[in-house]
Amino acid sequence: MTRLLTVENLTVGLPRGADRPNAVEELSLHLDAGEILCVVGESGSGKSITANTVMGLLPKGLPVRSGRITFEGDSLLDLSAEALRERRGSRMAMVFQEPMTALNPLMRVGDQIAEALAVHGKGSEAKARVPELLSAVNLPDPAAIARMHPFRLSGGQRQRVMIAMALALEPALLIADEPTTALDVTTQMQILRLIREIQERKGMGVMFITHDFGVVAEIADRVAVMQHGRIVEQGTAAEILNAPQHPYTRALIAAVPHGAAPERQAILPAPVLEMKGVTKTYQRGGWFGARAVVKAVHAADFTLNKGETLGLVGESGSGKSTLARCVVRLVEPERGEILFHGADLRPLSRQGWLPYRKRIQMVFQDPYASLNPRRSVGRAITEGPVTHGVPPAEARARALELLRLVRLDESAMERFPHEFSGGQRQRIGLARALAMQPELLIADEPVSALDVSVQAQVLDLLAEIRQRLGLTMLFITHDLRVAAQICDRIAVMQHGAIVEQGPTAEVFGAPKHPYTRALLDSIPGRGWTPPVLTESA
Amino acid sequence: MNSFWRNFARNHGAVVGLVILLLVIALAILAPVLYPGSPWDMVAAPFAPPGEMGMLLGSDSLGRDVAAGIAHGARVSLLVGAVSTVAALAIGVTLGAVAGYLGGMADEVVMRFTEFFQTIPSFVLAILLVAIFTPTIQSIVLAIAVVSWPPVARVVRAEFLSLRSREFVQAAEVLGKSRLAIVLGDILPNALSPIVVLSSLMVATAILLESALSFLGLGDPNMMSWGFLIGSGRSVIRIAWWMSVFPGIAIFLTVLSLNLVGEGLSDALNPRLARNRGGAA
Repeated sequence: MTRLLTVENLTVGLPRGADRPNAVEELSLHLDAGEILCVVGESGSGKSITANTVMGLLPKGLPVRSGRITFEGDSLLDLSAEALRERRGSRMAMVFQEPMTALNPLMRVGDQIAEALAVHGKGSEAKARVPELLSAVNLPDPAAIARMHPFRLSGGQRQRVMIAMALALEPALLIADEPTTALDVTTQMQILRLIREIQERKGMGVMFITHDFGVVAEIADRVAVMQHGRIVEQGTAAEILNAPQHPYTRALIAAVPHGAAPERQAILPAPVLEMKGVTKTYQRGGWFGARAVVKAVHAADFTLNKGETLGLVGESGSGKSTLARCVVRLVEPERGEILFHGADLRPLSRQGWLPYRKRIQMVFQDPYASLNPRRSVGRAITEGPVTHGVPPAEARARALELLRLVRLDESAMERFPHEFSGGQRQRIGLARALAMQPELLIADEPVSALDVSVQAQVLDLLAEIRQRLGLTMLFITHDLRVAAQICDRIAVMQHGAIVEQGPTAEVFGAPKHPYTRALLDSIPGRGWTPPVLTESA
Repeated sequence: MNSFWRNFARNHGAVVGLVILLLVIALAILAPVLYPGSPWDMVAAPFAPPGEMGMLLGSDSLGRDVAAGIAHGARVSLLVGAVSTVAALAIGVTLGAVAGYLGGMADEVVMRFTEFFQTIPSFVLAILLVAIFTPTIQSIVLAIAVVSWPPVARVVRAEFLSLRSREFVQAAEVLGKSRLAIVLGDILPNALSPIVVLSSLMVATAILLESALSFLGLGDPNMMSWGFLIGSGRSVIRIAWWMSVFPGIAIFLTVLSLNLVGEGLSDALNPRLARNRGGAA
């Protein structure tokens, strides 16, 4: 095999005042033609900086302090801007994370690919090559797609276009920076297969950046694990995944949701929440032009028993968040019954809802948006109870207790949200919900914005608190491994309807609906069971 | 607070603007000390050029001290600017908040009402209002407030629309807080930055509007103002330039300083935007 890319002792500095002196430190790795190297790490570990340095796309504030990058025999860091530009696109190409913003919205898709060819002096071939490239990335009807503007394509289709563009000049090296993170799980699987297939056909070297060990298991030949700007462990995929050596790798792999549900006591049929035929449609337009009607939630039925956790799973746009928001009336459904201990909540007024606010609480998805930036943590936690007439001193005492429960320091009371990390904020959000002493907790993707090790901590905390306080929980997630781990029962949603529901083991073990089967088939790395690692360093 | 000042001071123009503005405010406060007595009194021979007969900036066609007029006029200009802006903010923030928070029908009604005001040329409407209510300081403030609230309402509505769907506002709803508590406690504090920036520019516009009204003779006849000074000196500008030039400079400097301060506030409240702009230049 030919050595394609070598990075030796690369150090890239960070501006002064950052949390560490260098973004990437003493980093060495290599990539052969025809192999896929996965660079894995949590957010802020320097994996994207590494990719951008290779491409020569570093922002001005980040200087390369030392090191060599050799690509096909040339030292990339010594090349002139013009020489680098010639190689970019033609010899090495990049696919970005966010397909929604990576394409020029005002240009037809075909023209954008043709432009990539024209820039490198192959504009004359564009007419023939563009449809060929689009069909190479498995897009149906390439001629029609080439004439479309990006806004008419879905996220997965756009990512395919990006890949087609990157492949236009048949580069020797493809760098893919989290190319599937913004995509739904079924689409993600298609893109992963596509990258694998094209890589094998063309014998490219692929540097694949990801945070997801499932994806690693799916696609990698070799793996490099990064932490705080350093590579802590490197090896073949089988070695790293099944017998990790470094404590950090071991901790990361131990934190991957294992998808195996722990033993649970039987749930007695004592309904806390019953949804009957809940329907919510959105209408757009009106006045002039045609009305567009979107069925966000369509005739949803489910029952949630005391002490039970029901998982609502589905892809983006399946209506799972809308359904959860119907329960707390952030969304008002136009039909159906929402029975909480037998009382229908749907027709209640804002005032009539007040007594139920204490009993039903919610944890939100985005830890950066769910706390008011101008309010101290203490006030955020106490304001709910105080609104409902609890004396401030008592609310404060309870808030301190809750901070201990979610394992935060008492000094957190006086601090503001921006001083905390994502995982800590999510725990503050949880404390805020628990301060109301609810019976029913709705968790809307509470861990999907968190790194995998933090995710594991929050999930454990949720499980423990649920046990200790006897909470009933509605848990919304798109991650089936997480759902399998935490839920007693699962309801699968597609296009606003619940297509299948039942006990977790049943739904995952013997799925009846074809969509459930498709979802399960798309879990990245489903063939890989994380090894049981006893100690965690 | 410290980082606020650091970001503000990074914009040098804003610091200059702030200094000028403070000087104008000092002038307004010290006017009765510097120039005791009424600025309407005849204190020198008419048409004295600057520097003669003890008149720093000359005297006007009736022998009144131009410098005293400017000092006392600063009080009127700043007062009108500040009060009318507060009044416009009160109207604009209330309507914008109602439209943005409630949405739906309320939004439609309020925004159509706002557009109704925006389609009328604002200066013509201000003249009309002052003419109907007879020119007094109150009616001038009212007229300026009435013509300058629509942009506030639009900005506040846009901010509320985007903040309303943020998760921390939804969390407040789920906690069962009242609508008023959510609007005042959760949304408004997070929408303040653009309102602060906008209001500094509105003070500048209000001063210009008041000057323009006084120039046309629609000022309060009992109040000395910059616009009135320019208006009365206009007919003799070829033989006594100082009567209109100095008040003009006063207006120019005040409005400029307010605009600079507004830009500095905007940089200080959105440090990321400011830095990007610095990088591009």
